[in-house]
Amino acid sequence: MLKNVKRQLLSHKLMMISSMIVFFMTLLALLAPFFAPNDPNLVDITHKLQGPSSKFPLGTDHLGRDILSRLIYGTRTSLGTAFLVMGLTMMISIPLGIYAGFRGGWGDYLFMRICDILMAFPSFLLSLALIGILGPGLVNLILAMVLVQWVFYARVIRGMVLSVKEQNFVLAAKVCGTSRLVIVIKHILPAIISQVAVLVFMDIGGVVLAISGLSFLGLGIQPPGAEWGMMINDSKQFFRNAPSLMLYPGMMILIVVVAFNLFGEALRDALDLRRE
Amino acid sequence: MVLKRSKLVTSLVGLLVLLTIFVTGCSNTTKDQENASAKDQTKVLTFSWAGDIGDLNPHTYFPNQWFSQAMVYEPLVYYGEGGELKPWLAESWDVSKDGKEYVFHLREDVTFSDGSPFNAAIVKKNFDTVLANAPQHEWMELINQIKSTEVVDESTFKLTLHKPYYPTLQELTYIRPLRFIGEAAFPDSQNTFKEGLKSPIGTGPWILSKYKKNEEAVFIRNEKYWGTKPEIDKVVVKVIPDGESRVLAFEKKEIDLIFGNGVISQDSFQFLKDSGIYETKLSEPTATRALLFNTNRETMKDLKLRAALQHAFNKQAVIDNIFYGTEKKADTLFAPNIPYTKINVKPYEYDAEKAKQLLDEAGWKRVKGKPFREKDGEILQLELLFISTDNIQKAIAEFIQGDFRKMGIDIKLISQEEETFWATAYEGGFDLLFTASWGVPFDPHAYLSAMTKTSENGSPDYKAQLGLPVKKEIDRKIKETLLSTDEAKRKMLYKDILTALHEQAVYLPISYQSNAAVYHKNISGVHFLPQEYEVPFTSIDINK
Amino acid sequence: MGWFIVKRLTSLIPILFGISLITFILLHLTPGDPAVAYLRASHIPPADETVAALRVELGLDKPLYVQYVEWLGKVVQLDLGMSYVSKKSVWDEIMLHFFPTVQLTLASCILIVVVSLPIGIMSAIYKGKLIDQFSRIIAFVSVSMPAFWFGFLLIYFLSVKLDLFPVLGRGTFAHLVLPSLTLSFAYIGTYMRLLRASVLENLNEPFVMYARARGLRERLIVSRHLLKKSLLPLVTGLGMSLGNMLSGAVIVETVFAWPGMGQLFVTSILTRDYPMIQGCLLFMGVIFVVCNLLVDLAYSFLDPRIRWEGEK
Repeated sequence: MLKNVKRQLLSHKLMMISSMIVFFMTLLALLAPFFAPNDPNLVDITHKLQGPSSKFPLGTDHLGRDILSRLIYGTRTSLGTAFLVMGLTMMISIPLGIYAGFRGGWGDYLFMRICDILMAFPSFLLSLALIGILGPGLVNLILAMVLVQWVFYARVIRGMVLSVKEQNFVLAAKVCGTSRLVIVIKHILPAIISQVAVLVFMDIGGVVLAISGLSFLGLGIQPPGAEWGMMINDSKQFFRNAPSLMLYPGMMILIVVVAFNLFGEALRDALDLRRE
Repeated sequence: MVLKRSKLVTSLVGLLVLLTIFVTGCSNTTKDQENASAKDQTKVLTFSWAGDIGDLNPHTYFPNQWFSQAMVYEPLVYYGEGGELKPWLAESWDVSKDGKEYVFHLREDVTFSDGSPFNAAIVKKNFDTVLANAPQHEWMELINQIKSTEVVDESTFKLTLHKPYYPTLQELTYIRPLRFIGEAAFPDSQNTFKEGLKSPIGTGPWILSKYKKNEEAVFIRNEKYWGTKPEIDKVVVKVIPDGESRVLAFEKKEIDLIFGNGVISQDSFQFLKDSGIYETKLSEPTATRALLFNTNRETMKDLKLRAALQHAFNKQAVIDNIFYGTEKKADTLFAPNIPYTKINVKPYEYDAEKAKQLLDEAGWKRVKGKPFREKDGEILQLELLFISTDNIQKAIAEFIQGDFRKMGIDIKLISQEEETFWATAYEGGFDLLFTASWGVPFDPHAYLSAMTKTSENGSPDYKAQLGLPVKKEIDRKIKETLLSTDEAKRKMLYKDILTALHEQAVYLPISYQSNAAVYHKNISGVHFLPQEYEVPFTSIDINK
Repeated sequence: MGWFIVKRLTSLIPILFGISLITFILLHLTPGDPAVAYLRASHIPPADETVAALRVELGLDKPLYVQYVEWLGKVVQLDLGMSYVSKKSVWDEIMLHFFPTVQLTLASCILIVVVSLPIGIMSAIYKGKLIDQFSRIIAFVSVSMPAFWFGFLLIYFLSVKLDLFPVLGRGTFAHLVLPSLTLSFAYIGTYMRLLRASVLENLNEPFVMYARARGLRERLIVSRHLLKKSLLPLVTGLGMSLGNMLSGAVIVETVFAWPGMGQLFVTSILTRDYPMIQGCLLFMGVIFVVCNLLVDLAYSFLDPRIRWEGEK
């Protein structure tokens, strides 16, 4: 199966490029201090709004900070937050989804009603409202996103479990009298995990977009932290004298999101999970 | 099936047509054409402001804006060039020898915009409704000093005070709350502070004609105005919260005039000035931009730390790189050209080494491997509160954050929308706060007076100074000054007060701010009025 | 059909109930006392006795379920309370800001149809050709584009550099172009591909074969047969997106200073105007649900199979 994945990934040029970008961005995020030529938060106002130079390859922002370094650290913030949000979401969604799907009964019924209600709101708006109540900040942003998102994923996972549940190997295990927990861990979890992974990668781009959007509104990460959405908001003031200030972070978002979206699709095709 | 499908197509097309009609119909194309053709005859000036003008009530504060209140309502006495007190709605006045009785002779040719007469009775009525809410206006000492108001005859009004309060006439020039609304504007309960106005009826040169909350307000010329009538017919005030958007709109001629302090960033001002296509002007210093230290917070109680912060702040860098030299460096809370404020003190100069030394002495020591100084395991973190829409405050705040970081001070930025900002400021929820002296006609007496009032109705300064050992003495001296009739004694007291504040390092004066004006070349008559918040709409003309 | 509508409507009741419950609970998650928050926003010192008095006045001293029932009773009468900041009725403020958002959303819908319809069909007919590749790239970029950045790009190039459109605000027809373009961009890509897929599917249907066999001109086949059949997903999809576009409007309205619901919502969040946050969320939640319901009904009207299933 792994071989199949590999061949599919390599088969398409675009897919290959996207996975390379994803790999590179992840590396950038993990090793930001190593890649960044300067301290991203070092203010030197006498160097403000400078063009590219050998010391500042992409120039400086309105406080004389190195743009390139801030972009690199921004990768860490954006991807780190996005993966954290997804990770936390999955920690809620996987157990709940499996429980609801596997056990059924009134627990499942209750779960589905909660889903109906929470999904009656456009998710971005609900996150916004939660941040409005909790107050702006990175922690609250993560909290708000997880609290809103988990429903959707839990429901999808429940669906996956429902279809796996009726398959022969699970039924066989049941007949053999295997305990439920063991069935879940040994049979159900491995059967759905690849689909879940695809789901995560398909949507991580959307999460990156949402995070940068919230930061753009001033509700996410607070200064001096570097985040692309916030950088765009900051550079609004200078976008006539220094349009590049706004251009770079936007391009970073676009590249990362496109890459992750392509990568997610490639992964899905490779695992041949296209439903319908 | 076939039938259904064709139905789908027709309904879709129909829907599309409907939508198009709807969308185009509700846009204001027709109105715009109207505007364009009417523009030949009428002169319309489009101005922009960061927020909504509020309900245009002269007896209340935020969300009312000073400039719009000043357009519609007028004072008895006008604050003229160089602090000269000029007759306005009052033609003349007499002051009794003991300084407690003021008799005003009102102009007789003044009517409100609805045609109702302006007379002593309506003056008294306005005074009384303001006095009925005296606690809300506590910052203004005159309100506390008024003993009685009296209609002597149709055009004579008498004010009696408890004590001889020397800045009485000066305080009557204020834009709020002692300005006048017409009879028909009063609400049923007569309480304008609690219930608001029925409609904004004033005596001023402008009348509000159209108002769309958070979008725009249109003022038309008051044809019955008693004084010099404005040259232009209409002033449109568009709400544009963001400075950069304002500049873009200006460049595209969607607005004609940018006016005020902090309404656009210094970078944008410089950019517009350098372009050479527009007229730009800067006023004389209007007020002092400063940081207020909250001595009531545990960390900030320490004078050594406050002094360290004073020395750590690189004023010149801010002046050169954020203001591009458009604002002058400030060393004292009030500019020396303001009466009573010239004091001989040694300014806190920028000296990073001294600052570090003072921080060490205060017990905030560097810890190896950590970015910020610590004392007893606690990080030296200070909260700096600023208004999120104010570009200049934001720029300075970020500069401070970055620069202080090098010295091991962690500045936490708290950016809040203006409304919330003031609420937090009054509560004392900050270590450092952007503040500004109030400018004329308030400086120095009213600014100092407000320091003595409990925060909710005075200024955030009261609570912020509570940690000072000399707070009580300062308050006592301020109160004494305002009621002293002896000029020499007043001078001495002012000196004492200002010196004490300087020595306690409560304020970090940054610069003397000024108003900026940027306008298109076809506009003339833009000059700066004595009161910072007045916009010179009356003298502006548009040339074809 | 009637039975189906009744059934769908009844299923709405628990959902609306749930929405109201969530919005109610949300306000009570507020850190700190709502009474204190109210006083702060009104610039009144929160002394103990004032707080206590206000708690009684606002009914905060009663048990939570009583508060909920009373609140719900008011909501049903369209009384969403009073804004802490502007001191005006939340409902009135929402009504004031709702129309501009509707205008923006509908304009975006038109743009989506006008742009994605021709490109979607063309890229199906010329599958694999240049236009197909182009639409594929556009589709990918459009879903990955941060709307706020795209908005600024449009402002920078079309407004500032080329001076084609006004920069900000609402007013003339021209003001509508850039915001609706920004809002619709993300959907244009999606719908292009959706249409393409649907046309491709239909191209192999017997009725197209038959038309071809009859020797009908290709253009006629497309306009008379394919178009009709392929519109279904577009119509229903648009209805579904309508609610989501409300979310997109939040960012677009902020970028373009468009005085709609989105801006109202963001401002109320920044000023911590809790009743307004609550009111906006409730209102948009209901709008979203109603949109979805209408789509369901429309879909079942167009495709009877769903209806039958529903009736079973």
